[in-house]
Amino acid sequence: MELDWRSMLLLAIFALAWEARGAEGDPVTSVMWDYHHQRLLNGEPFVFDERVKLLAPPFAEDARQVPIQVDASAFDGEVLRILAWAELNPIARIFDFQPGEQVLPRLAIRIRIEQATPIRAAVLTRDGLWHVGSTQIEAAGGGCTAPSVVRAQPGWEEHLGEVLGQRFELADASRLRLQIAHPMDNGLVGGIPEFFLNQAELRDASGQVLARLELFPAVSENPTLSLEVQGQGETELWLRDNNGNEFKAAL
Amino acid sequence: MKHSGFRKPFVLSALCAAMLLPGVSAWAVTDQEILDDVKTTDQIVTNGMGLQGQRYSPLSILNTDNVKDLRPVWTLSFGGEKQRGQQAQPLIKDGVMYVTASYSRVFAVDARTGKELWQYDARLPDDIRPCCDVINRGVALYGDLVIFGTLDAKLVALNKDTGKVVWRKNVADHKAGYSITAAPLVVNGKLITGVSGGEFGVVGKIEAYDPKNGELLWTRPTVEGHMGYVYKDGKKIENGISGGEAGKTWPGDLWKTGGAAPWLGGYYDPETNQLLFGTGNPAPWNSHLRPGDNLYSSSRLALNPDDGSIKWHFQTTPHDGWDFDGVNELVSFNYQEGGKTIKAAATADRNGFFYVLDRTNGKFIRGFPFVDKITWAKGLDKNGRPIFDDSNRPGAPGGADKGKSVFSAPAFLGAKNWMPMAYSQDTGLFYVPSNEWGMDIWNEDIAYKKGAAYLGSGFTIKPLNEDYIGVLRAIDPKTGKEVWRQKNYAPLWGGVMTTKGNLVFTGNPEGFLQAFNAKTGDKVWEFQTGSGVLGSPVTWEMDGEQYVSVLSGWGGAVPLWGGEVAKRVKNFNQGGMLWTFKLPKDLVAKH
Repeated sequence: MELDWRSMLLLAIFALAWEARGAEGDPVTSVMWDYHHQRLLNGEPFVFDERVKLLAPPFAEDARQVPIQVDASAFDGEVLRILAWAELNPIARIFDFQPGEQVLPRLAIRIRIEQATPIRAAVLTRDGLWHVGSTQIEAAGGGCTAPSVVRAQPGWEEHLGEVLGQRFELADASRLRLQIAHPMDNGLVGGIPEFFLNQAELRDASGQVLARLELFPAVSENPTLSLEVQGQGETELWLRDNNGNEFKAAL
Repeated sequence: MKHSGFRKPFVLSALCAAMLLPGVSAWAVTDQEILDDVKTTDQIVTNGMGLQGQRYSPLSILNTDNVKDLRPVWTLSFGGEKQRGQQAQPLIKDGVMYVTASYSRVFAVDARTGKELWQYDARLPDDIRPCCDVINRGVALYGDLVIFGTLDAKLVALNKDTGKVVWRKNVADHKAGYSITAAPLVVNGKLITGVSGGEFGVVGKIEAYDPKNGELLWTRPTVEGHMGYVYKDGKKIENGISGGEAGKTWPGDLWKTGGAAPWLGGYYDPETNQLLFGTGNPAPWNSHLRPGDNLYSSSRLALNPDDGSIKWHFQTTPHDGWDFDGVNELVSFNYQEGGKTIKAAATADRNGFFYVLDRTNGKFIRGFPFVDKITWAKGLDKNGRPIFDDSNRPGAPGGADKGKSVFSAPAFLGAKNWMPMAYSQDTGLFYVPSNEWGMDIWNEDIAYKKGAAYLGSGFTIKPLNEDYIGVLRAIDPKTGKEVWRQKNYAPLWGGVMTTKGNLVFTGNPEGFLQAFNAKTGDKVWEFQTGSGVLGSPVTWEMDGEQYVSVLSGWGGAVPLWGGEVAKRVKNFNQGGMLWTFKLPKDLVAKH
């Protein structure tokens, strides 16, 4: 079948409108949006959406430990994946979170930022649309290339993968808050190879995966994480780093 | 990165899976390819260029006539601030070279262009305990995995295309002094490794793992008195104490920290279906603390690859008091005598003697010195046991700080150290990289402390000659005759390879990769690589041309332990390069 020129024009107008909608709606100013949209979201359809709550301090007091929180509860039951990144970081990606059925689409984590940067959290819903939440963090900078605090501590290897954590009961879920001992070396410091946690799974007592999390070295050393899980059942966190070390903690 | 979410993987029907299998084996390294490596010329999938470790290539495109036209085609730098000894042998599969570098690093390189495809840097703890430089001797290939051992005594399996970790297993506790530097080998679907750590009083062991997932299959301690195990369906089953029981050849509790580390890995003989491994020195070095033969230190062991049981052993230095590790490669070879084929195996020991054994039962056939000076023994008896010269064993401290010091040759670094020799199927000769040196050695008191050096000896190493230490020797294993020798000023520390093109290749610490006429010993080619050559050269055929590769990068044990020898090598600079040479097609035609 052949489209006549009028249909083509219509399509073109639609595409233009789509583009305009994307660019105009951006709540933060970023020269990197198109790049990350192509690279991380494969250029797929998206909307800037205030219903994705992305919370971060306006100024990073410590650029190596910046708390951020993503809350996509507005799309509860519809969320397939949540991607987060810091647009101007040398290593932009922070996490790729697949919450599954029993884990709420909310995640808090601490990250490193190299300079003042827009932060994004893109939420993929079942209809195939990315809902993008945005915020801006000001910073003095240097969080990604500063010397490691962990490695300066004697005997850090002994504590590698140790998890400090607690479970808090909330109205609609339990909040799992934990910290994992790991240097999260990002390979940007000379002579120290990449060494970071890159996989995490929250599993129930029978070993079923409740949620999957891929981590990137924009996450702070000794990563701090909060997840929210429904039900009272026991959970176990499984972690693996890029060297193949595996860690487990019951929560 | 693409994700499939929580969808369950598709279940393939049996038919479907069966159809896919041939496609898989087209690129995956199989047991058959490993067995055939000795005769294939377009890839190298074993350390030793064949499971027997003969380091002989049937290629003859490159030969004594045209080797002068051998020329570099690419080099690759291992980079990093820490340039240390490079001792690996490259493996090549499907146009990709897999090689390890210092500090437990692995590189995958396009074998045609030298372009790096991926690099894996193991994140090592700060308290690794390598005795003798942070080297590594290479990878094993199996299926789509690249597998190697690390300085913190782990086995790591990487995906051959991405370099990402597929599995990782702890083999032993690095805090107790264990490490791994040798290349593992794969035999009949089992990944076999030894461990290092004899200078720290570890208990040596040889272990087999499932290469697909890193599950432990069996473990065999190399010190008398320790139980071996096989693992079946998650159960640990006793498989006999090494040597039958404790206390037969060791006094008191010393077997519990007895060393005998099989740190150089081993080889496999398909004809007799046995693993051939060597074991290191007994711990501590001070022999007066441990009267007895101290089995199975300084020995060669033949193991059943199915369960790790010991079929036979041959101890080259019973009750070692000079650090004469027995790890040097035991190379299987056959020869004709009186109309019969003798299934033999040969080894050139640290202690200065060359041994030819019957590899079907470990019986001694003959032995002879392969260096000019041996002081610690007067010779070998009819069973191959050394006839000690008791006046040349360093004395017991006996309450003093130091026991009587003696001058001993060879030195503790050995008449030959780790660097593998080669056996030519054409000349019937072994090409042995040897060193002429001696040492003053004395004993001190020592007590075991976990993770601390456990020697009880002091020593200083000395050259025996002004103008050379290293000697590359061509040795006839049937007569003990030295057919030719080539001297080298610095100690030789690199592996040897020989080819059907009547060539012998090896490198020296001065930085030259050299080729010799296998029959006459004449030097026919050399090339300066920029740093000392400690690696083992390989050769293979690609696109109709013959290639040669070797690592360059000075380091290893000599500059660390070198005593007076250190003076000879102090101006050798460090490096860290992978060199690849070829003989261009048009130049082959010209000759």
